[in-house]
Amino acid sequence: MSGAVDSALWGLALAPLPLAGTILLKRAWDSPGPNRPRCILAGWSLLILAIAASGPLMGPARGPFAMLTIASVVALALVAAGVERRDAKKKAPRELAPEPSDRRRVVWRGWLRGFLAGPLAGVAALGCGLAVAICAPGQIQSRMVIGGLMVPFLWAGGMAWTLSDDKILRAFAVLAGVSVVTLGAAFLKGAL
Amino acid sequence: MDGSTSAPARTRNGGKPIWPKIPAVFVRAMLAGHSALGLAFAALIYLVCFSGSIAVFTYEYGRWEQPAGPVLHEVSPQAADAAFRAVLAKNPKAHDLFLRLPEPASPRLSVHGDDPKGGEHTWFADASGKIVAEQKTPWSEFQAELHTVLHLPRAWGGFIVGLTGVALLSSLVSGVLSHPRVFKDAFAFRWGGSKRLQEADLHNRISVWGLPFHLIVSLTGAFLGLTVIIVGVLALATFKGDTSKAYALFRGPQVKDDPRPAAKVLDVAAAITTLKAKYPDARPTYILIEHPGETGQHAGVNLVTEGRLSRGETVVVDGAGRILGEVGYESGSVGLRVLSTMTPLHFGWFGGWPVKVAYLLLGLGLTAVTSSGVAIWLARRRDKGRPAPRWERVWIAFVWSQPVAYAFSALVALLSPTPPVVAVWGLATLAACASAVVGSPASVSVALRRISAGLIAFVAMAHIGLHARQMTDPVGWIVDAALLFTALLLAATTLTPSPEAAKA
Repeated sequence: MSGAVDSALWGLALAPLPLAGTILLKRAWDSPGPNRPRCILAGWSLLILAIAASGPLMGPARGPFAMLTIASVVALALVAAGVERRDAKKKAPRELAPEPSDRRRVVWRGWLRGFLAGPLAGVAALGCGLAVAICAPGQIQSRMVIGGLMVPFLWAGGMAWTLSDDKILRAFAVLAGVSVVTLGAAFLKGAL
Repeated sequence: MDGSTSAPARTRNGGKPIWPKIPAVFVRAMLAGHSALGLAFAALIYLVCFSGSIAVFTYEYGRWEQPAGPVLHEVSPQAADAAFRAVLAKNPKAHDLFLRLPEPASPRLSVHGDDPKGGEHTWFADASGKIVAEQKTPWSEFQAELHTVLHLPRAWGGFIVGLTGVALLSSLVSGVLSHPRVFKDAFAFRWGGSKRLQEADLHNRISVWGLPFHLIVSLTGAFLGLTVIIVGVLALATFKGDTSKAYALFRGPQVKDDPRPAAKVLDVAAAITTLKAKYPDARPTYILIEHPGETGQHAGVNLVTEGRLSRGETVVVDGAGRILGEVGYESGSVGLRVLSTMTPLHFGWFGGWPVKVAYLLLGLGLTAVTSSGVAIWLARRRDKGRPAPRWERVWIAFVWSQPVAYAFSALVALLSPTPPVVAVWGLATLAACASAVVGSPASVSVALRRISAGLIAFVAMAHIGLHARQMTDPVGWIVDAALLFTALLLAATTLTPSPEAAKA
């Protein structure tokens, strides 16, 4: 049997574990009785067992990623199978989650917010990544890849922050400061 | 994720929350940011997610478009060498040749190179290495490039796709933070009734259970897309803007360029034999032969070892067939090893077909999350007495334009000898979006789903009609069956009798 078929079969063979784990978690969610803590513990244990078992069976890095993916599909299938039909005529119950905050619509604030979330957060993230690639200890390739991976993460974080923070000038000051310091450090050192 | 879901009665009895209470002001602010970002990037995120879900099966589409083969599960080193020499003979001055050996996902022996006029070609060879056909897979190439660069110039397209990945990653962060009941409502999935609550349940359930996948594909996608700009800035800071020096750090042992004619052309068969002896557990998947026939000729051979999450190790071989060393994708620094996981992790090419199917489903789920996010915003406006009926129609038309455009472009690619696939896809997208001017959102949705179903079924039937007699690759039949199943499924969604279901 080829390795690809082998890993496909192991992926399928292990799928019942996350399925059983999710069923137990759903049972705990459905009926809060005395068995609830045991169901939660057993459910999570099965999910962890599936991921742990996938390592030796499918490869130490490949197995856990494959199992996480398969477990997500299995869990979603279970959630879809438990769909409830809502009565269209019945009024929806009181909403518990808050609404998005209503901000005053000011044109310049909108443009500034867009500038902060896009270019400025991007430059700040790029500066951090570059500073790690150039100034951090370790092998060159590792510094470059880790610095490179930091860029999308930090940019995404900066984007989320600037788009939600009402104090726009504070965000501007922080991002501008980070950009100047990190890019300055990177270009001043200027060698890998 | 949208926080505007209501808790079902049964979760109210679910015990005390185990997560710290997040202040409502913070949640409201995060929701506002989440909405703004989602709306600004909705169309791009939708397009990238949809095209990415389809692109998981890129190899299979290539096999489906040219199912006559030859289907080869393994070839001898001598056959690989013969195929290489046959293509080199077509253009002895080729800068480089790319030899792809059979592997489970793509059981073909092919050689890619340019002709004397600069045109690029890929040829298929049989088990003896004899060239038997030229590769013609316009639709597979179209859909892969739509996902990776949106058919824009590579630097710009990659940047926009990378930026879309960043926006998606940011939406995941703000979505989790703005949804305080994220785990408590994990199993609540209700359909019907209020459009907004229905979409919110769909949006939140897929978002929560698909979160590991969403994080992986958005981070790896953003990284792969932004590589050009990251390396460009790095080169500016350290190599006076010379990006080739930055890329050289990831290319392993270097061979000095020497254009003088070599005594003999690199012996691919000998190189493969040597490598198989040194790496008995690995399987060569492709070989890039640079400057063939010159004194500076050399090859990078990619070796895949089963069980590893990696694109494979690349071993550099010189013109005399001597092993110069490894790049280090599997044996080098942490950075190189992490880098080698990016592409397989992003496309789901690491765990056989179950993982590919899971990636397709989760990718389509992420596409549905994007679609429902905008639908929630539109429904919220309607609930508050500020409906945007034009945008409701435009959005639903755009959402269903992609199945229509993909199917129509595939049909044209099958039937036309020189298909302008990108133009066909663009025109089909525009035509489908133009349907927003007629009818209600529900009727636009139903009409486009029916057209998609019809086109997809037609694609499968046309493919069977054209290739049934020489379909030696079973994947041809499997893809046709999957297309017919998809068409039936899509058609079935339009037959739901209740009017609420038609609102989707």
